[in-house]
Amino acid sequence: MIYRRTQSLCPICLRRIEACYENVTPKKEIPLSSENPHETVFLTKTCPEHGFFSVPIWRRSQESPVPLFTAWSRPKLPSYPEKPATTHSQGCPYDCGLCPEHAQHTCTGLVEVTMRCNLNCPICYADAGSPIQADPSLDQIAAQFTALRTQSGRCSVQISGGEPTVREDLPQIIALAAEHDFGLVQLNTNGLRLAEEPGYAEILAKAGLESVYLQFDGTCEETFLHLRGRPCLERKLKAIEACKQAGLGIVLVATLIKGINDHELGDLLRLALSLGPNVRGLHLQPCAFFGRYPYSLDTAPRLTLPEVLESLACQAPELVDARDFHPPACEHELCSFSCVYQRSESGLTPLKASTCSCKEKAADSVPSACEGADLAKRVTQLNWKASQDTSTPGACDSFSNFLAKTNARSRFTISCMAFQDALSLDLARVRGCCIHVVTGDGRLVPFCLRNLSSLHGHPLYPRIRTS
Amino acid sequence: MTMAPNYAPDEGSWLCAHCKEPLQQLKVPVFYLGSAFDVLLPRCPKCGMTFVPKSLAEGKMLEVETLLEDK
Repeated sequence: MIYRRTQSLCPICLRRIEACYENVTPKKEIPLSSENPHETVFLTKTCPEHGFFSVPIWRRSQESPVPLFTAWSRPKLPSYPEKPATTHSQGCPYDCGLCPEHAQHTCTGLVEVTMRCNLNCPICYADAGSPIQADPSLDQIAAQFTALRTQSGRCSVQISGGEPTVREDLPQIIALAAEHDFGLVQLNTNGLRLAEEPGYAEILAKAGLESVYLQFDGTCEETFLHLRGRPCLERKLKAIEACKQAGLGIVLVATLIKGINDHELGDLLRLALSLGPNVRGLHLQPCAFFGRYPYSLDTAPRLTLPEVLESLACQAPELVDARDFHPPACEHELCSFSCVYQRSESGLTPLKASTCSCKEKAADSVPSACEGADLAKRVTQLNWKASQDTSTPGACDSFSNFLAKTNARSRFTISCMAFQDALSLDLARVRGCCIHVVTGDGRLVPFCLRNLSSLHGHPLYPRIRTS
Repeated sequence: MTMAPNYAPDEGSWLCAHCKEPLQQLKVPVFYLGSAFDVLLPRCPKCGMTFVPKSLAEGKMLEVETLLEDK
């Protein structure tokens, strides 16, 4: 049965082709049976030159508490850029951006400050480390911050790479970001330098850093050996301690690979909670296959959103329930799930506020995408930084009482984002994307398109490299 | 129960545009996402129209709202 039609790219020649979501594929019909207890929805497509392709997008067991593909929905009306940076020429995804057809505003803008790295991970979306590309100057980075702030308002900014901490002038870069008054200044890092250099986290915090998006894939060294090529756990824990001492918020970010670390989700959540309230959330990323990866695109081990959701709930039933999680307000519904929790000594309680918010609206009222983006910005900007006590001493009105007993330190976010590669790309999802990479010339490109490469490794949007 | 602080207008004295009555600091029940709050806000004693000072809307009230929100 065909559930939905969309457009995608041929994973070989990257031409735009028609695609659809369906529960069986013409080339691979797998009837549901006791031998095949999974209900799988595939994205299927056929290139006139390179033939048929299919990839699982929504795989759940028959008894799963996770909603069916058709029930997982969060519609939003498109919100187009007020001042698109490009015009319609070849159509999506070739005109980024943002082009006039892009249907969502920026929630988080990524500025890549280097392509160098002090790790050489077997898996790297940005294919960082080799060959060497010259770092952008401070002036170029300042221009990128300005372009992002001008086009996207007070969004969050993530300083990314490569590994940003290899730059000696990272404190100046952070200060530049802070001067631009973004809603959140976050650093995407492997954490090695934070662990190894005493006082470094304080220097970054003083420069204006608020949150650390810390690569943290598991709770045992085998996982780090597989994903990062070396043992890292001890250093990651040291990095967290350094960030806590510096008063930084920390989000643990795990790249998930089926059969490698998807059995560790429960332990990862328990570890994250045990590390104290500066660890603001756990963010899961089932591996997409672009950049550098030790698999073939078509046979790579894939995890779909419902599988991650079900695994997490099964592995930590004392903390979470599969029904806690909901599709996103901001990005496309097939891109993520999340929940904000109230944490207490006895565990986690979901806020459930999002559902409540929807019910308050008329049944036929579909919110605009930008309402969702504004909501997502508020929630992440409050919850992903270490919280300040803003209660008013002595005040005893209801607002002050609430703030005195409830602040962001009592919140914990669990989220999961499924990126799209050349097989799983859905142009409807891409047009709803809110995670945008700022290019050197100040354009904004959805994260997945920025990193997407063909089956033979040809990038859709090449980074300029100098060897 | 003491209701201080009193969330008065940031500046000026205000009249209700509809009733022409001066606003008074009155107890106002505020509801958001299943939570209820009682606060003292400038309010028209005749029609009940309430004025939320900008500093409160962008400060403490926004923080309370955001703490109750999920995305």
